[in-house]
Amino acid sequence: MKTKVYVMLFFLAGLGLLLSGCASDLVAGTWPGVSADEARAYVAAGSFVYAVDLQTGQEVWRFPEKASTANPFYATPALTPDGEQLIVAGFNHILYSLDPVDGTINWEFNRSHDRYYAAPLIADELIYAASADYNLYAVTFDGDLAWQFSASQAIWSTPVSDGARLYFGALDRTVYALDARRGSLVWKQTLDSAILASPALGAEGQLYVASMGGRVYAFDSESGAALWPQPFQAEGQVWAAPFFLEGRLYVADVDGVIYTLDPATGRESQPRLHAGGTIVSAPRRFEQTLIFGTEDGALFLLTLPDEVQTFEVDGRLYGTPALVGETVLVAPYQADSPLIAVTLQGARRWSFTPER
Amino acid sequence: MWETLIVNPFTNVLLLIYNLVGQNFGVAIIVFTVLIRLITHPLTAKQIKSTQAMQELQQSKEWQAIQKKYKDDKEKLGQEQIRLYKEKGISPFGSCLPTFIQLPIMLGLYQSVIRALAASPMQLLVLTRILWPLPGLSELIPINSQFLWMNLGQPERIYIGGIGIPFLAILVALTTYIQSKVTIPPVTDPNDQSAQMNRSMALMMPLMMAYFALSFASGLAVYIIVSNLLSLVQYAILGKVYWSNLLPKRGRPGSSKSEK
Repeated sequence: MKTKVYVMLFFLAGLGLLLSGCASDLVAGTWPGVSADEARAYVAAGSFVYAVDLQTGQEVWRFPEKASTANPFYATPALTPDGEQLIVAGFNHILYSLDPVDGTINWEFNRSHDRYYAAPLIADELIYAASADYNLYAVTFDGDLAWQFSASQAIWSTPVSDGARLYFGALDRTVYALDARRGSLVWKQTLDSAILASPALGAEGQLYVASMGGRVYAFDSESGAALWPQPFQAEGQVWAAPFFLEGRLYVADVDGVIYTLDPATGRESQPRLHAGGTIVSAPRRFEQTLIFGTEDGALFLLTLPDEVQTFEVDGRLYGTPALVGETVLVAPYQADSPLIAVTLQGARRWSFTPER
Repeated sequence: MWETLIVNPFTNVLLLIYNLVGQNFGVAIIVFTVLIRLITHPLTAKQIKSTQAMQELQQSKEWQAIQKKYKDDKEKLGQEQIRLYKEKGISPFGSCLPTFIQLPIMLGLYQSVIRALAASPMQLLVLTRILWPLPGLSELIPINSQFLWMNLGQPERIYIGGIGIPFLAILVALTTYIQSKVTIPPVTDPNDQSAQMNRSMALMMPLMMAYFALSFASGLAVYIIVSNLLSLVQYAILGKVYWSNLLPKRGRPGSSKSEK
């Protein structure tokens, strides 16, 4: 009988340990985000946000001082237009304004009740922070709440602004258009499935929105009216924001297929391209080239209209690369080096490995 | 292997049930628990009978006799006990088996709840890749994690005056205690070693389970509570519930099995 009790306790303790291990799933997070100014790259890569010197690839500072494993940072940091503030948002529900020079805190905004996954948008002299607590917060450059708007589910993507209105999608399958100054609803449209990507604005007031179900919709940004007879249907799910360039709309799905659409009709206007690996984020543009990161650890470069190149980098590249001059910055997922700099020809300049 | 055999099927079954019950994830967990209990019922029935047989053996004169005879020779005592087990056709660990089966189910369910709720983009990407290619399954995502006052993907608290009360953890402790207490036959000899062990287990188990409920996603706590209640029903159907065990000892007939 005694043995039985010990065996039982052993199993219970084992289960506790296993569950504790699994609990890390709750905070396992997501992929890192990287942005940059002329001198530094800023990468939100788990326990820290790092500022890295672009010339040397060396750490300039990290935030916070002590590792925050329970409340990591993944949302791509955003700089204010004057370069005086670096806005970072974490799993601890707090939006921080940091001094980009040394990483010290200017202010904290702590009205959110859940995590931030999306990069803050800085436009129209406001900071727009989308939270998993269903709210979009508009925050002044002093850290005060200007307004907030509630969706019906979490918001995982960054809004876009045309100067007067904000557009964003949420997991509630709805795309919202808000008055950017007041936060009031102008129109909304319900789609077939959750929206994980930012919308894209066209040249003449069109708004393109992709859904997780692989559909791409076009709306009149003024009225919210549908512009295509029917949405475009991709083969796979679409997680990456559509990209409008030179009269064409580029859409990438999770199977790594890149579609080129006629923005007026939603029909494919040229043959599909295959990046070779899953794409979940929007590309970065360099002149006539779109740079996609893929799950296979490659950079896929599409030079318009249809010239393609692939460079192996490292790790799994889920986020949108950053670009400074002709240096591409990528932040691989769960890699020893959370930041790698390569040239547009695929040559590695440096990789940043933080000291423990 | 674990993912393929346990977590992925559990996740898909949970999602199918979620769809069938009107997209309520709490109800899906409850229905899933009922299914698991139904599937493991033959084992549970075997456990109950095995426990009963063990209890009867330990109260038999033959058992008592060898305890006295070999009290100073543990090795010989062990050999004699094994001989008696064999003679009576009892497996000393037979009564543990269903409990051990519950443990991987709990672990698998916990991982499945976390996986199905997919609280981050990365988790959602993982989820979309393990879904069975059934019509409508991928359209269920994202799952609504709200059930009553709870977020099933987070530990539960009810805030009263700014203080978080772990209501579910208390309920888990209470139901586990009642379940442990009333399913053990009343003892004739309070000094009996097995009775002492049972008493300590009846205290230890609720504390352990409450700790799990306190620390992990509340979906797990819902599973434990429903599982405990269903276990009571199973014991009651087999006539093995001893409600008198919950009463204070004073004034209680010690050896009665009247509440079977």
